[in-house]
Amino acid sequence: GQTNLKSPQDIQVYVVNTNFTLRWNYTGSDTNVTFSAEYRWFEDFVTNETEWKELPGCQNVTHTECDFSSAITKYYDTHHVRIRAERREEVSPWSSTFEMNPYLIARIGPPGVELQSTNGVIKIKISPPEANQVRKMWIAHLRFKYNLVIWENSSNAEFRSQSIFPTDTIDDLAPDTTYCLKVQATLPLDLQEGLFSPIHCVKTTHKAVNDLLCATDVSVLALDMKFHLHWNNRYKQHVSYNVQYLIGYLKKLHDDYSMKWLSVPGCENITDTQCNFSSIISTTSGIYYLRVQAMSEYNKSCVSNEVKVDPLITNEIGPPGVKVDISDVLLHIQISPPGGSESEVMRDRYDLSYRILYWKNSSNNEEEIKMKEIKQTIGTISDLTPLTLYCVKVQAFSEVYNKSSHYSKEECIKTPGDKILHLVILATFVTALIAVFLVATPLGFALYQAYNKIKYVFFPSCQPPLNIEGFGGQLLSSPYLSTTEEPIENCSIIETIITEEVNQTDFKDYIHSKQSSRDSGNYSNDDTSGSKVSEETLEKEIV
Amino acid sequence: IMNVFGLIPIGLILLCTTTISSLQCNHLPLQQRKMIENSLQLLDKMGKKFPQQCLREKMSFRFPEQVLKPRQKEAFKVAIEEIFQHIFYIFSKNLTLAAWDGTAIEQFQNGLYQQIEQLEACVTKKQTHYFHSKEVNRLKLKKYFQKIDCFLKDKQHNLCSWEISRAEMRRCLQLIDKVVRKL
Repeated sequence: GQTNLKSPQDIQVYVVNTNFTLRWNYTGSDTNVTFSAEYRWFEDFVTNETEWKELPGCQNVTHTECDFSSAITKYYDTHHVRIRAERREEVSPWSSTFEMNPYLIARIGPPGVELQSTNGVIKIKISPPEANQVRKMWIAHLRFKYNLVIWENSSNAEFRSQSIFPTDTIDDLAPDTTYCLKVQATLPLDLQEGLFSPIHCVKTTHKAVNDLLCATDVSVLALDMKFHLHWNNRYKQHVSYNVQYLIGYLKKLHDDYSMKWLSVPGCENITDTQCNFSSIISTTSGIYYLRVQAMSEYNKSCVSNEVKVDPLITNEIGPPGVKVDISDVLLHIQISPPGGSESEVMRDRYDLSYRILYWKNSSNNEEEIKMKEIKQTIGTISDLTPLTLYCVKVQAFSEVYNKSSHYSKEECIKTPGDKILHLVILATFVTALIAVFLVATPLGFALYQAYNKIKYVFFPSCQPPLNIEGFGGQLLSSPYLSTTEEPIENCSIIETIITEEVNQTDFKDYIHSKQSSRDSGNYSNDDTSGSKVSEETLEKEIV
Repeated sequence: IMNVFGLIPIGLILLCTTTISSLQCNHLPLQQRKMIENSLQLLDKMGKKFPQQCLREKMSFRFPEQVLKPRQKEAFKVAIEEIFQHIFYIFSKNLTLAAWDGTAIEQFQNGLYQQIEQLEACVTKKQTHYFHSKEVNRLKLKKYFQKIDCFLKDKQHNLCSWEISRAEMRRCLQLIDKVVRKL
């Protein structure tokens, strides 16, 4: 119908857990005015046009608020809500659309709290918001972190805030005092702090006098994943102990874990004040809690405080083993990892590295200590001087967990005389020797030859025969040397011709005969040409 | 004046603890990587091979992978922490019909719980705020886990529903493992 009615304004939606409340303002006259609302939602964040539906719980309401919890089931989807005023036949225009995502505007409701005051402490048990509800806004209730606020019920009391487990004990309290507390559930990742529970007040009792029996100073010592629990006891009489452990995550659950403490094997009914609980720890599985139950002969027992053990953080890394070996100019270091062969997992989780310190151990004091970091278990050092005593020690460390072991024992070893150097010297010497030999031999040979030639030229070894005279100037009688003048050998053949007034003609005949003989002689006797010449000259002389 | 002097040692202690925890947080990716490897091994160890008869009941849950790819690299620590919290919650339910190895389940849960604690210590307010602002991603993640939760409830936590959920959680952890390795 026609409308003089104003539409409602300032729509607000309040959500606590799965309770949805719509509130609005109405400024028009409110006589006989009722309100009705509509809603629609969008599946999977897609804003396609869907039909408006009547909002159950908000039809014909007279007040300016209504509860529409029954309508909403899709807590992660976007919803639109609008409302209008109605009076008899008149309806106002729809208000502006209110857009909301239930999960994003929902608040966490208060948790349930149960308290028990015993033995000077307050035991608290928390039940999560929406416990026992079928439909939940906060489905993974184990995600809640509970925040406790506690104060003494006196004036000027300080508020103390602490994070607690669903089942927990508040023990740093004064006896016979009244404390008040409240708890809220939070989801830090959703930036959500829930509504506080109602305030509960309780008075603490006095502490029981079992003190002497209880184990005190419970502590853990762990080396290379061997875990030992140590404690003290001031009880004079016979006490036996039972060491118990709890797997850490059980504290996060809402179930009662008091029955889930188990005995450590080998530490049941013991009298020793220490226990090896390595058997229950595996590197791979998180946090454990340990406690000591002391039992006296009179069946009285007392449970000590708990100790939280985070294996890789509580454990200390022991020193590694070291062996050194030397070869020429390389120093080999063989590292045996801490914990032996069983601790492979430990080494893997710690991501162990090794720090090697090495230095020259000489008689004069200050030699520089050098450092080398390696990841493997074999290291080599190369910048060594020969014939020196080197000492080495190794430390294992985990950068990931910021832990380092003590240093191993020192191992010392002496570097050998420089064999290489000796070899080099020897080789050089031999090579030089050969080289010299190779060069010197032909050179010597050449020199020798030259010497011989020279000697032959200047000092020939052949002597001429002594019976040949006129060998003056023998000095220059070498056949190789050219002489300026050939010596004239005045050789004469003296033929004694005895003629006493011999007929001239005879002589002439004799000469002719000679000539003829000479002619014949020409053909037979060539060598005597020289002598023939001399004969002619002789003839001339005679004539 | 007295109060100011009293505050100084407290301030120093706070400074030391924050430095120490941030030192450890520097190596968070490596520590987490090894823990995730371990969780995957335990997940395999707790049961046998996926039973053939459960194949027909297999459902597609559609893990929102974009949650693991935010632009700000650091902020996805928050997403991982939330995923671990949800997985931890799922495996805390009634597992009797699954008939798995109890010790392996305990160790798996304990390991997850340790991872959650560690992340809690290292995730900063700034990172949480950043993740919080990515509303659509956060809601998709919650819807995914709600689907699995409802699936288990509808099937009354029977063997096949558990085996299918275990396979799905394995896939989830493997995706996280891949991303953490890149850090």
